[in-house]
Amino acid sequence: MRNIREVLSVFLLAFSTSAFAEEAGSFGQSIAAFSELVDGFFNDYTGWFVALIFKSVPIGEANFPLIVGWLLLAALIFTIYFGFIQFRRAGMAIDIVKGKYTDPNAKDEGEVSHFQALTTALSGTVGLGNIAGVGAALAIGGPGATFWMILCGLLGMASKFCECTLGVKYRTILPSGVVSGGPMYYLSQGLSEKGLGGLGRALAIGFALMCILGALGGGNMFQANQAHAMLTYAFDVPSEYGIITGVVLAALVFSVIVGGMPSIASVTEKVVPWMAALYVGMAVIVIVVNISQVGPAFAAIFEGAFTGAGVVGGFVGALIQGLKRATFSNEAGVGSAAIAHSAVKTKEPITEGLVSLLEPFIDTVVICTMTALVITIAGLNVAPYDGSGLTGVTLTAASFTETAGVFKYLLALAVVMFAFSTMISWSYYGLKAWTYLFGEGKGKELVFKLMFCVFVVIGATIQFGAVIDFSDAAIFAMSIFNIIGLYFLMPVVKKELQSFIARVKSGEIKTYEKHSK
Amino acid sequence: MQNTAKLTIDLNRPLLKDGPNFLSHTVIVADDLAHLKPTITAMLFCMVYIVVGSFLLILATYLLIVTTMYDLVIFVGGFGIAIATFGLSLIQPFLKRASFNKASGLFDNHRDRDVKLHHIISLHINNKIIQSKHAPNYHCYELNLLTEHGRRINILNHNNQQQLLQDAELLGDFLQVEVNDCRREITL
Repeated sequence: MRNIREVLSVFLLAFSTSAFAEEAGSFGQSIAAFSELVDGFFNDYTGWFVALIFKSVPIGEANFPLIVGWLLLAALIFTIYFGFIQFRRAGMAIDIVKGKYTDPNAKDEGEVSHFQALTTALSGTVGLGNIAGVGAALAIGGPGATFWMILCGLLGMASKFCECTLGVKYRTILPSGVVSGGPMYYLSQGLSEKGLGGLGRALAIGFALMCILGALGGGNMFQANQAHAMLTYAFDVPSEYGIITGVVLAALVFSVIVGGMPSIASVTEKVVPWMAALYVGMAVIVIVVNISQVGPAFAAIFEGAFTGAGVVGGFVGALIQGLKRATFSNEAGVGSAAIAHSAVKTKEPITEGLVSLLEPFIDTVVICTMTALVITIAGLNVAPYDGSGLTGVTLTAASFTETAGVFKYLLALAVVMFAFSTMISWSYYGLKAWTYLFGEGKGKELVFKLMFCVFVVIGATIQFGAVIDFSDAAIFAMSIFNIIGLYFLMPVVKKELQSFIARVKSGEIKTYEKHSK
Repeated sequence: MQNTAKLTIDLNRPLLKDGPNFLSHTVIVADDLAHLKPTITAMLFCMVYIVVGSFLLILATYLLIVTTMYDLVIFVGGFGIAIATFGLSLIQPFLKRASFNKASGLFDNHRDRDVKLHHIISLHINNKIIQSKHAPNYHCYELNLLTEHGRRINILNHNNQQQLLQDAELLGDFLQVEVNDCRREITL
């Protein structure tokens, strides 16, 4: 080993002329200049979009973004309209996952069980939203933001149920034979059935446009950006070298989405659940090791939720951050989950809706709370909560590292894998929206895919502020169009639900108890 | 007691679960030999992993020499090895060419036990839809052979239907066996 190192040292020394050193220095400067240029561009040219989406009204000392109220109100309305389905039908959702309504002898070829579908969906949901998102929420909203995240997760279960049921019900078979679904389809077809075809098409187009921006923002740049931020924190990689992280990630994403290699996608699908398990395992270890501090941490969370001590805007400030980051994490009401769930093999749209409502619970109520506990226990996040200290993934990583130094390396591994798998998922959502707007076609699809890869590099290069603002705005903008449509179509979902429950009660839909041998 | 249960072979069922979203191989017939030739596109996409993996390995080596950041070296190097190894494993099936050799009378795909050509009784075209929640689903097609002993072995597996139909016909003529179209309507 030493010999190899010596040989390589000599080799490098031979090339280490002053000219080479100057070249390396200018490369670093060029990268820094490029980073500044891109960051400036995003600040200058996307600022108006961010301001429009996050238009706020003053409430006390805080500015309350109308879009946050929009999402919260929708989740509350769906919760009431569906009769607190997330609590009353949680047992039925678990039974569906356990296969109680699936004939064990009638499994079609290629069909995945609801349990498999849930674990697949969860592995896609557990990601940087749970790691970086919670770090950002607590850095700006204090520990109290956690309470509002939990509340948003619980209410968001109803939104997710509604949109995922519609996603399956109104899915379409495209001319190529490919099944496509999601808000674009239920908005246009569902509203057309109600004689509101024009409105439906307008909402579908608006959603598709925002979905493309969301895919490029939260589903891409934010992921690449935080992956590099994690490497910077864990290994002291200079932040301006984000372009290298970006190029490597972009090349791998390119291979999957342009090349259509099934192998890497299936490898990712197999590895990511283990990464999720690794992350949860690390959080459990931190919590167990510091079990005596869990009580005070919960006390800080509840106290902070209603006093908002140290948070700009007080408790409203904490509420805003909690709701924003919970939405970013569980995507309830955004419409993206409906695209993913629409591809499942099922005859009953309602079963997919019921299974999907478990996702915000596990994602936000369980896993985000665990991250928040880790951060609160570590005590690195102190008032005033203005985001000037550690934030995002670095706050979460530093908090884990307080218990064991090795955690930062494991977290780095998990973050890179999560970022990659999320980018693959969002490239799919973005592509669905793209083909809805511009039609199918290899050339048209290639344009989007190449653009997506370029944005990976940009995301890893630019500063956190510009990326997260744009990412948030794009994802939240999707909810504007989606939720308008959900209001019109929620009676359709209710009818489906009533029909399903009636058929279960009448015995038309059989139940299958598992017998032990 | 004699077991009278009959074994049935479902020829409509695809043999493989996955398949690429591109044309991976074409059939080339020359004299007494028919072989599967990998397409350049398929090879290039595998090369991406090898190039990225190699780049990370070189980067790790560079860091090892110029810095003392050993943790970063291990991380970058580890990723490099994993990605490059993955790329090499992907490219392997493309490098090993499956062939039907009339001179030796064998079909060899470097994976299954060799099949005597006179044991092949028919070729079958199957279709399937590759589904994922996190990627667009797409059609994929298989060309499979059936032996007189009931063995089914995959020959081609890709998403270019037209090319697969042409190759099936070409191979059917070469082997002097019937080609059965077992494609079916798939509803999700």
